[in-house]
Amino acid sequence: MGPRPRKENGSGKPKNEKAEKKVQKLKEKNVEENLKRIEEAEAAAESSEDSPFLSDSGEDDDESLSEDNGSISESGSEQSKLSEDEDVVRAGDGGNPTGASDDDTDHSSGDSLGEGDDNDDYHGEDSHGGSDDSREVVEESDSSEDEVAPRNTIGNVPLEWYKDEEHIGYDLSGKKIKKKERQSKLDSFLASVDDSKNWRKIYDEYNDEEVELTKEETKLIRRLLKGKAPHADFDPYAPYVDWFAWDGAKHPLSNAPEPKRRFIPSKWESKMVLRYVRAIRKGLIKFDDKPKEEPRFYALWDDSTPAERQGLAYIPAPKPKLPGHEESYNPSPEYIPTQEEINSYQLMFEEDRPKFIPKQHTSLRSVPAYEKAVRETFDRCLDLYLCPRVRKKRINIDPESLKPKLPSRKDLKPYPTTCYLEYKGHKGPVTTICTESTGQWIASGSKDGTVRIWEVETGRCLQVWDIGETIEEVAWNPLTEFPILAVAAGQDVFILDTGCGSHEQQKKIEELLHVEPQKATDDSDISASIVNWVRDDRHGGIRLKHFKTVTKVEWHRKGDYLSTLMPSGESQSVLIHQLSKGLTQRIPFKTKGIPVSTAFHPTRSIFFTATKKDVRVYDLLKQKLIKKLEAGVREISSVAIHPGGDNAIVGSKDGKLCWFDMDLSSRPYRVLRCHPKDITGVAYHRSYPLFASCSDDCTAYVFHGMVYSDMNQNPLIVPLEILRGHSSADGRGVLDCKFHPRQPWLFTAGADSLIKLYCH
Amino acid sequence: MPKHYRPPGKKKEGNAAKYVTRSQAVKNLQVSLPVFRKLCILKGVFPREPKKKVKGNHHSYYHMKDIMFLRHDPLLEKLRDIRAYEKKVKKAMSKKNRDLAERLLTRKPTYTLDRLIKERYPKFIDALRDLDDCLSMVHLFAALPAVDRAVDGEKIPVDRVHNCRRLSHEWQAYISRTHKLRKTFISVKGIYYQAEVEGQKITWLTPHALQQVLPEVDYRVLLTFLEFYETLLAFVNFKLYHSINVKYPPILDPRLEALAADLYALSRYFDANAQSSSMKTKAITSTGSEQVEDQKEGAELDEAELRLAQLQQQLPSNEPGALMHLVEDAASEDEEDVETRECKNLFKNMKFFLSREVPRESLLFIIPAFGGIVSWEGEGAPFEESDQSITHQVVDRPAQGRKFLTREYVQPQWVYDCVNARIILPTEKYMVGCIPPPHLSPFVDNEAEGHIPEYAEAIERLKAAERKEVLPLPGMGKEDLDDPQNLLGIIDRAEAIEAAKRKQKMSMLEKQYHEELKLELQGAEYSAPSTDIEGRDAEGDTAPDLQQLAEDAANMSKVVMPRKKRKLLEAMEIGKERKRAHVLRLKERKKKIDEAKKSA
Repeated sequence: MGPRPRKENGSGKPKNEKAEKKVQKLKEKNVEENLKRIEEAEAAAESSEDSPFLSDSGEDDDESLSEDNGSISESGSEQSKLSEDEDVVRAGDGGNPTGASDDDTDHSSGDSLGEGDDNDDYHGEDSHGGSDDSREVVEESDSSEDEVAPRNTIGNVPLEWYKDEEHIGYDLSGKKIKKKERQSKLDSFLASVDDSKNWRKIYDEYNDEEVELTKEETKLIRRLLKGKAPHADFDPYAPYVDWFAWDGAKHPLSNAPEPKRRFIPSKWESKMVLRYVRAIRKGLIKFDDKPKEEPRFYALWDDSTPAERQGLAYIPAPKPKLPGHEESYNPSPEYIPTQEEINSYQLMFEEDRPKFIPKQHTSLRSVPAYEKAVRETFDRCLDLYLCPRVRKKRINIDPESLKPKLPSRKDLKPYPTTCYLEYKGHKGPVTTICTESTGQWIASGSKDGTVRIWEVETGRCLQVWDIGETIEEVAWNPLTEFPILAVAAGQDVFILDTGCGSHEQQKKIEELLHVEPQKATDDSDISASIVNWVRDDRHGGIRLKHFKTVTKVEWHRKGDYLSTLMPSGESQSVLIHQLSKGLTQRIPFKTKGIPVSTAFHPTRSIFFTATKKDVRVYDLLKQKLIKKLEAGVREISSVAIHPGGDNAIVGSKDGKLCWFDMDLSSRPYRVLRCHPKDITGVAYHRSYPLFASCSDDCTAYVFHGMVYSDMNQNPLIVPLEILRGHSSADGRGVLDCKFHPRQPWLFTAGADSLIKLYCH
Repeated sequence: MPKHYRPPGKKKEGNAAKYVTRSQAVKNLQVSLPVFRKLCILKGVFPREPKKKVKGNHHSYYHMKDIMFLRHDPLLEKLRDIRAYEKKVKKAMSKKNRDLAERLLTRKPTYTLDRLIKERYPKFIDALRDLDDCLSMVHLFAALPAVDRAVDGEKIPVDRVHNCRRLSHEWQAYISRTHKLRKTFISVKGIYYQAEVEGQKITWLTPHALQQVLPEVDYRVLLTFLEFYETLLAFVNFKLYHSINVKYPPILDPRLEALAADLYALSRYFDANAQSSSMKTKAITSTGSEQVEDQKEGAELDEAELRLAQLQQQLPSNEPGALMHLVEDAASEDEEDVETRECKNLFKNMKFFLSREVPRESLLFIIPAFGGIVSWEGEGAPFEESDQSITHQVVDRPAQGRKFLTREYVQPQWVYDCVNARIILPTEKYMVGCIPPPHLSPFVDNEAEGHIPEYAEAIERLKAAERKEVLPLPGMGKEDLDDPQNLLGIIDRAEAIEAAKRKQKMSMLEKQYHEELKLELQGAEYSAPSTDIEGRDAEGDTAPDLQQLAEDAANMSKVVMPRKKRKLLEAMEIGKERKRAHVLRLKERKKKIDEAKKSA
């Protein structure tokens, strides 16, 4: 009813209303769901039934709506559409453009088609129609459109059948209903944007028209969407009025007589009662409510049954810790931490923080309740049933008992204990020392480039050579009759005549050292590539020119052979020189890794090379590798062979001293972790069962190392003394240590340019 | 084939077969986790630590035998029944089948833990050994208010609290009557007691009688433990009561509940009982004697019950005469060891009166345990405050209303300190209104700890004085003991003698030490320059040398030790060092405090 006036405005031509209605109805029935407001459309279709309620709504609403719609109808596009539609309808009407009377008859025929309920509506419509004869065909149906026969009569067929046709279907009279001209999308979009009522419009594809919902309809839809009754004034919970009232009625519903069983006692019940009676008599059923109370507790442990615990061995839980003084309510004042201490707890780790801070309460009445009482009990309970229990052996031993039982040091005397002498004179760190085999002299080499010979007992410096380069190693010839000295400095090895021997010896030496240069020149063709034997006039000796820096020089026990070590010499890193012949040769084995130190076996023709990782033992006669001693330390720095030849000690740069018993195993027999810093040198005493190690931590350790001839007895190692006295210079401490060949004395060379002699 | 692969059909061996994780165990037993937990708690099954943890480190492992042990327990079936029953009740309730539900409620399946207790503690001594946790927990629950309330969705039933209170009173009654209490300690957490029963030292903690904080914990766990502990303690009490020829449970009377509810109610009940036996409260000794006679005869049931009731009362209400008689009657006198006798006679012939504000329950427990007589302010007290024979009044108020000159007014700490020291301490430090001397823990071995608090030393001195001077005066009796002036004089004299002796000794030692030092110095001086070319000055070097020597010696023995032992030694040294640091800190603090005092 609302929209009607608007349509009239739009078209301005009278129309066959009946036909319009029918078409509309058809349209509405097949509203397609391609619109956005699909449910609304459906709801509208459904709500059409209830439209009679709406139809009664006041005239004001209609008017207002019509006004609204008026504005819409002004839009050109719709107008054109509508007008076209009208034309079609008019054509269909076939010249029956008359007034309301015709409409009425049509209506009645529509009613006869099936929807006769809503006559009122039609009347209303009629009245409207009557009031505005000039009104156009109503496009938008009002709520009563269901009753109106749809304009299109194609029925429930897929609409795409008509997709390519010019018409959308047929009206009641069988005439084609032509399609309206399509608006371009842009136009329709613009129109929809401009139109504030756009959201109410639904396109009905079936009837090919736009339907606009009235306010009432939208309200209806809203209520339906909420699941309420469509009408606000409908009460779904109205009191039920029973149409049938029995009161005062004369006759009963059933006329059957009461059965007999209602009047006689039940047999089965009496049987049941009898059974109960018997049970009671027999005492099967008792009526006393309380069962007899037995004493709840009794002497549980008094019976003489064998008391053995079942199950696995029981491990009793440890008892809670007993409280100390600090837990007292009034502890001694020294147990109460100061405020600073309490503050410092905040900086500690959560676990390390004390759980309990003692506090003084001046009287018992001021002690508050302990707020963690229940929590702690609970924690204890959790511990009791959740903690795995293990029987752990509590090590309740005296730490002293852990220390091994060592023989008393007094019994192992003599050994060096105190610093007896200091040899002063070097200007730089003393890198190396060596004792002469008679024990009368020592030689020392220093970083200041000098080699000095000292008299042991007096500390007098006998001789000084200024080599000019850092002295790496000095070595006395082990033969007493040849007091000559091998000195490694830079790329050269000097063999110097010390002049310490007697006259005859001196002659021999001169002979030896004199002859050699010629020999060397003779042999230079052979060994030129390796070493150059040159006469050194400046120092009075032989100079062996190497091609790389020499770090170690070692004499063979017979005093004729001399081994030199060049760590960076690769395959020619270890060379053996023969003094008497002036020969030089490589050792006939492959060496792996960078060699650090070398040593001759004291009795047999066996040669030791220590690389950073291991010590390799070669047989010089058979020319093959005998053994590999694996120290398992980070970096080997020095090696020394026991005078017996079966044991060796190896010092490492991580401060460990390994004793190898070469008969026993290739692994260390004992690892002594004595120094916190690098070990720089190790040494055996030639005759006493002593050995020593010196390190950059400015100490030297003296050990008792007894090797037994009995094969079943392992060597006995006892630490004897820590020798201190050197001071650190440049991070280096003691650089070398050597024993006196006869006495139990130890010489140490320090980075503080001192040589010290420790005596027993 | 991987190493861990086990061919099908081959059984597991070793740790994989012996130990199962908790979830496996739960699955194996076909119970829910709460039921499993309950079973474990009641049966005393705990996880074990396998040598090799097959399933990983983060699991807890149970021994398969333990699980089998649980599986064969009838309790498991019972717990299943209970679960089924609960389901039935729930179903009936939700179907609004009230009749069925009510009928079911009358037939709740129950279980008893007697067998489990016997199983876990085959001998009585085993039970006593594990009684610490039990007592602490029962006392804690006894201190909870007996109000019905829901905590964390879990109710602590009121009757459990009442039961705990009753049990704890029973236990304390026994300990007090047989004078087995040895040590007491007021800590911030509560009051610790240590008793010695059958040679077992049993320590427990009672919280302060204040409102307890109830945190959000799983109370089901606590209540399950409590369930076991209640039963255990009841059986232990039974055994202990019977060992002194007293019937247990003490009172088969509905009024028991009122008794267990409060000590006050208990005393009132005692009054009523005394009246019914047509005895006046004043005629205490006669009641006692009659009770003894009753006990000897033990003929009439009524009489016996009455007597039992009275026995129960006697402890908290402190009928001294009757108590003594009973103990003597229990024929345990000759079995008493020296310590018990000492404890029994500590407060002998002393009469205490407790003011309102002191912790009454604790003192009512302690004082009779050491042979004293005690009364308190309030109804039902055996004697009034105005009683002239009262020797000590325990007060914890800054100002006291009226003062009796015949008695001493002490703070409660005095009682505890006396008990720990086993002597009657002078009271002037414990006077009302002043801060008492520090309260020290009797559980600490001061010598082992390394630091002896000042007051501990003072007590030691007093004890020594007691032994020398006071003990040989047995004829003097109570007056002498209690006269503070006299006692003080004696103590002072003894102290003076002791101090003088000590001084002498100290000076002797000092002299000796100095001489030794001198000798050493000289020796060093002689030896050093002779060996040294440089001639280092000996004074500078000798002192660190000695230290160095000791260090070297330690170092050298370490050098030859195997790594395992060396690490162990290092760990020990760390522990020692920590302990030493603690003692040092204490001493430093003490020094500072002393200095502050001096300067002030």
